[in-house]
Amino acid sequence: MKIRIVLLILAVVSSASAEQPLRVVTTLTTFASLVKEIGGEQVSVQSVASPNFNPHFIEAKPSDVLRVKKADLFVHGGLDLEAWRDPLVNAAGNVNVRSGAKGELALSNGIRLLQVPDRAVSRAEGDIHLFGNPHYYIDPRAGLVMAQSIASKLIELRPDSREYFSTRLREFEERLGQAMIRWRAAAAKTTGIRLVGYHNEWVYLVDFLGAEMSQFLEPKPGIPPSPQHVEKLLRYIKEQGVTAIVQSSYFPDDVGRKLSADGAVPLLLLCQNVGEAPECSDFIGLVDFNITSIARLVSQ
Amino acid sequence: MKKIFVHALAMVALTSVVKAEDGTSLSTLASSISELRSVVAELSKTVQQQQGELSSLRAENVALKQKAEKAEVASTAGSVQVAPPAPQRTLGQFNPDIGIVADITGLSSESSEDEEGNDRISAREVELVIGHDVDPYTRLDTTITFSDFEDVTLEEAYITRWGLPLDSSARFGRFRPKVGISSAVHRDQLDTADQPLVIQRYFGVEGLYKSGLELSGFVPSPFSSDESVTHQLFAGVVEGGIGEEGTLFGETRRRLSYYGRLRNFWEVSDYSDLSLGGTYMIGSSDEDSGYEVGVLGLDLVGQHHFNSTNKLKIQSEFYLQDRDAPYIEVSEHGEIEESEPMAGSPYRSGPWGMYALADYRLSESFALGGRYDYVKLVNISEDDTRSADQGWSAYLTYYQSEFARWRAQFEHLEFASGDEDNRVFLQGTFAIGVHKHSLN
Repeated sequence: MKIRIVLLILAVVSSASAEQPLRVVTTLTTFASLVKEIGGEQVSVQSVASPNFNPHFIEAKPSDVLRVKKADLFVHGGLDLEAWRDPLVNAAGNVNVRSGAKGELALSNGIRLLQVPDRAVSRAEGDIHLFGNPHYYIDPRAGLVMAQSIASKLIELRPDSREYFSTRLREFEERLGQAMIRWRAAAAKTTGIRLVGYHNEWVYLVDFLGAEMSQFLEPKPGIPPSPQHVEKLLRYIKEQGVTAIVQSSYFPDDVGRKLSADGAVPLLLLCQNVGEAPECSDFIGLVDFNITSIARLVSQ
Repeated sequence: MKKIFVHALAMVALTSVVKAEDGTSLSTLASSISELRSVVAELSKTVQQQQGELSSLRAENVALKQKAEKAEVASTAGSVQVAPPAPQRTLGQFNPDIGIVADITGLSSESSEDEEGNDRISAREVELVIGHDVDPYTRLDTTITFSDFEDVTLEEAYITRWGLPLDSSARFGRFRPKVGISSAVHRDQLDTADQPLVIQRYFGVEGLYKSGLELSGFVPSPFSSDESVTHQLFAGVVEGGIGEEGTLFGETRRRLSYYGRLRNFWEVSDYSDLSLGGTYMIGSSDEDSGYEVGVLGLDLVGQHHFNSTNKLKIQSEFYLQDRDAPYIEVSEHGEIEESEPMAGSPYRSGPWGMYALADYRLSESFALGGRYDYVKLVNISEDDTRSADQGWSAYLTYYQSEFARWRAQFEHLEFASGDEDNRVFLQGTFAIGVHKHSLN
């Protein structure tokens, strides 16, 4: 009888712990969406940076500190986009998610990085990134790499659920593959078009589309537009046949709107992160929205 | 035996097939064939579709390969990196993060005193910030402060130890104790060019930084099951004494000060949050072992983002002392100077002070704000014509970039002594290197 009771308790305890989802905290909502995509019901995910704010300048709050403190897994961009990441992890004091620990995942691993400086850089060039442009997470091609990294980490943390995570990864791969055909078709139309950005955060999308974006509203990364620079940009737009001005919603749009009106080019507010617009409800939705918004202009 | 059993099974199976054939009409067979045909047609369609996708993917692959080749060529010219950068394994990676924060301030004042930076431009504070992980459980942070009118100061040198029981953390060394809000942060993190008057008069012109030990951790919230409401506890013991020009405690460093703080935070939404804190600190006003001074602090910070750029912040702190002795000024050599406040000086047993600040971020580049100050002094002078020092400030901050900021501030002060002063600050704050202040 005693043995039965002990076995019953063990069964209850083990089933309770098996049902407990992994607590995952991500820096960005896009990463959170991908973790949910692969982790399904076996993860509970929260993200620190709201998609409505510039991910470079997030003020982490005590609630974020507590979330990271309790996390089993902390997923981040791996490069120098989230300058607030280290102070947040330090404040949380969770040794299981610190750099190099089992509960840490940098999604930049395996990503083909663009704009990696090949020379000594300085702040004279603005808010420049040392390891390459960190906005890779909007690249359609990065979706699979990020999803695979997440699946590997989840399997490492919860090996018993290997089949579950692998199945969800395969399903995601299938959906991504189908979407990729659409995106490639759209990209065929956008090759060679010229775009102007607010901040240098579209390079991966532009690369995928075969488009060109060499001018930005920010005269240098992180420096707000000045009247002289906007004047110069207006000339560029008129002379070079720019298709659109592209910016994310968290940058002020007043200068972009004026430039759009003066230069007679549309201003596109695209998504940098999941949740930034209703259409960008997950990774595939985000890429769909960004690509179709640009491709539609070419088709018109 | 086994063979016989297998033969018997085969016989039974054969018999049943023959029986089924007998019972099946030609029409049923025809319909089955037609069904099979449609399935085959469907399958061929799928295969055709998949072949199309396959050739599209093949074409894509070829294009990608071509592109990669081109990119590889370009990468040799330095414009594109086609593979993840190889980690540079050099011992330099173990070098600590080093940053410098310079606070260059011009101050125009009606005061006739030739004190801290009056009527001149000064390198008021140049912080050399160095820090790095020691091991998986510990980090060391130091801040050494240089100034063009003061000696070099070791403002901070402390380790943070994580992974302690009850999920707590500890700071050990010299640091800014978590007492209230303003005193706990560096001057370059303030919204104004100077500390609020109540902080200056009670804790010191730069706030309080002392050597000691501080434990911190979160306590479960009775109000929320998720992390949107947090309660953070801090408890610490630091050496005695007070900051420069502060009057809360005496100057004896061996008489330790103790403090406890509870910070309650409510994340209302992505756009709004509210923080309410309470601090209690006790310390000594003189050399004996008694604790003559206690101070209760209450603080409030409310923030609301109207959008990704415009933000309103309201911040206020209130301090109430309970003391049994005046502030006694001691010279650098440990002697009580007769001209300065001493044991018999008249004092207030319950002096209090507060400030309220509002800061509005107008745009990416500009913020506007104002602060009101009121503080009753500890010691009472016969010459006093007012019951407190008070003042108001207005400022405009220009954010040149993430690493450079300018601030113009006007400040009107009315002192308890009856004097008045109007000051204009022009402050420039510049950061280079790796600059990572800890979260508050």
